[in-house]
Amino acid sequence: MKLGFIAYKNMVSKPLNMVLSLLLLVLSVSLVTFVLQLSKQLNGQMDKNISPVDMVVGAKGSPLQLVLSSVLHIDSPTGNIKLNEAEQIIKHPFVDSAIPVSYGDNYRGYRILGTDPAYFERYEAVLQQGRLYKTTFELVAGSAVALKLGLKIGGKVVSSHGLAAAGGEAHDDKPYTIVGILEPSGTVVDQLLICNLKSVWDAHDHGDGTHGDEEHREDESNLGNEEGNDHTQENERHHDQGDKEHDHTPDDDEHHHEEEHDLHDEEKEITSLLVKFKNPIGLVQLPRFINENTNMQAALPGFEIQRLMGLLGSGVKTLNGIAMAILLVSGFSIFISLLKTIRERRQELALLRTYGLGTRKLLFLVLFEGLFLAFIGFLLGWVLGRLALILVSKYIEAAYGYVLQINGPEFVELLLLGATLLIAIIAVFLASTSIFKLNISKTLGDA
Amino acid sequence: MVKTDGLHFQYPGGEAFDFPNIDLSAKDHLAVLGPSGVGKTTLLHLLSGILPASSGTIFIGNTEITSLDRKALDKFRGSHIGLVFQRYHFVKSLNVEENLQLRQYFPSKLKDKERREAIAERLGLKAHLKKKVTQLSQGQQQRVSIALGLIHKPKVVFADEPTSNLDDVNCERVLGLLKEEAKLCGSSLVIITHDQRVTEHFKNQVVL
Repeated sequence: MKLGFIAYKNMVSKPLNMVLSLLLLVLSVSLVTFVLQLSKQLNGQMDKNISPVDMVVGAKGSPLQLVLSSVLHIDSPTGNIKLNEAEQIIKHPFVDSAIPVSYGDNYRGYRILGTDPAYFERYEAVLQQGRLYKTTFELVAGSAVALKLGLKIGGKVVSSHGLAAAGGEAHDDKPYTIVGILEPSGTVVDQLLICNLKSVWDAHDHGDGTHGDEEHREDESNLGNEEGNDHTQENERHHDQGDKEHDHTPDDDEHHHEEEHDLHDEEKEITSLLVKFKNPIGLVQLPRFINENTNMQAALPGFEIQRLMGLLGSGVKTLNGIAMAILLVSGFSIFISLLKTIRERRQELALLRTYGLGTRKLLFLVLFEGLFLAFIGFLLGWVLGRLALILVSKYIEAAYGYVLQINGPEFVELLLLGATLLIAIIAVFLASTSIFKLNISKTLGDA
Repeated sequence: MVKTDGLHFQYPGGEAFDFPNIDLSAKDHLAVLGPSGVGKTTLLHLLSGILPASSGTIFIGNTEITSLDRKALDKFRGSHIGLVFQRYHFVKSLNVEENLQLRQYFPSKLKDKERREAIAERLGLKAHLKKKVTQLSQGQQQRVSIALGLIHKPKVVFADEPTSNLDDVNCERVLGLLKEEAKLCGSSLVIITHDQRVTEHFKNQVVL
C-alpha cells in the first residue's frame, strides 16, 4: 500500500474533478507544443529549401513571390526572363553557379520543373532508382510525388498546363516518361517532377491556337501581374515574332523538331535563375546591380523568408504568450482543485495521522496527486498537440505539398514538462499549508 | 499497560479538565463512563496521543507518550494504538480490504493477508472486502471500524462511544466483538461511553 496508490485512488474516485483541473493544462500544453512544432518545422523546411540558393533572378514583381514560386514552389511565378540575359549573370565573376529553372506545367498538381542536372547536386538529391534524364520528355520524380501518385520507372505522364491540378489543358501529344525516382530529401525536391529545360520549351512550342482565349484568361487570373509571363504568352510571342518561316501545326512533328532547333537563344526564356555566390561580396553588389540595371529582379531568399517569418513570428509569439498564460491559469486551477480535495478530505488526512503517518507523508500524498495531474495533463496535451499537427500536416500537404514530421518528444517539450511539474509542485505547497495546521483531535471529533 | 498521573488538559481559552488517574494492566478492559461534556473524548484523545496533555504523564506500556516528540509519537501511535471512532472514519476512495491494508502497512509495513481475512471472517466482512466502505450498511461500517482498530495488533484499543447508536441486540454484539477481538490480539481495551448498558460488561470502571 504505497502513498502513490492512495493518491491515484483518490484522484480517480472523483473523475469529474480530475477532468476539470486537467482541462486547462491539456489545452495549454497542446497549444504550446503544437505552435512550437509547427513554427520549428516550417522554419526548418524553409531553411533547408532556401539554403542552397543565395539569390533568385527572375522577372520583375514581388521579390517574396519570386522566392516563394521559384525556390519553395508554393506560388505562381512573376514572369519569365530571357535566357540570354540570364546567361550574363551566369558568367558574372561573383557567381559560383547559377541554375536556370523553367516551369509552368503540372502533373496532377505536382510541378514539372525544367532545369539543369546541377539542380540535383545543389539540393543533394540522390536517385533511389532509375537514372537522370538524358533527353527531352524524360522525368525524374521526387520521392513524395512518386509515392503519392504511385509513379513507376517507365511510366508515362501527361502534363497539363498551369500549376494547379485542375483546369489546365493537357499536353496529350507530348507525354513524359519517368526515368528516375529520387530518395526522400526533406526538401522541396520531394514534391517536384524534374526534366530538362528543353522539355519545358518543347512542351509549349506548338503555340498555334490550341491555347485559346479561355486559357489566356485563366493564366491572367492565375498570375495577376501585367508582366504576365507564361507559356501562353510566351508561345504567342514565339508565334508572333519568331519563326516567321514556319507555319506549324500541332500535329506537324517534323516542323516542331525543326522549330526547336531554330529557336534562337535570344528567344528562349526561363522562369528564373538560382544563383550561388562565390563570396559574400556578390550578395552585397549583384542584387542591386541586377535590380537597377536590368529588367530582371534579384531576390534574396534568406532575406525574404526572414521577413515573412518575422511576420509569422509575431503571430507565433502571441500564440505562445496565450498558451503560457493558460498554463499559469491551469497551475492555478490545479492549486484550487488540490485545495478543495484537501479540505474535503481533512478527516481522512486526520485519520491517516492516527495511523502514524507524519505530516511529511501527507504532504507527499498531496504531492503525488498534484504531480499525477500535471503529468497526465502534460501527456494528454502533448498527444493532442501532435494530433493537431497531423491534421494540419494533412492540410498543408494537400494545399502546398509540404509534409510535417511527427516527432517524438523534444528537449524544449521536456523543459515544458519540467515547468508543468514545477507549477504543480508550487500549487501543492501552497495548497497544503493546512496540512501542517491540521488539528487531528478537533477534525476527528467534530465529524 | 495504560497508566496516567495527574492528567490535566486546558483548551486554549476554554474549558479545563482534570482526569482521575488510570492504571490498567495488560490485556485488561476498562470502561470510562460519564455524561456528555465531562471530557470523555478529550481523555481518549489524550490517551491515544492525538492531543497533547497540558500537564501530567501518560504511560502506554513502558513508553511515556507525553514526553515523545511529534514524529516519535506519530510512529508510536501508528504501531501500538488502535482507535475505534464514534463516527466511522475511512479513506473513502479505497475499498474495505484496501483500508485494512493501509492500516496494516503504516508504519510497520506489515502485509499480512491471512490476518486480514481472518479478522474479516470473524466480523462477517469477508464478502464485503472488495466493496467501497460507503456501499456498506451502518452495522457493517461499524464492524469495519472495529477491524481497523485491531488489525495491526495494538497494545491498547480505545473505543469512543462504540454502542451509542445501537439497539440492545447490536450493543451486545459489538461489545462482544470488541472484547473478543481485543482478547485475540492480546490488546488492552478502553471504552469511553455514556451508555449505561456497557457497565455490566466491565468490571473495571472509571467514572468522570
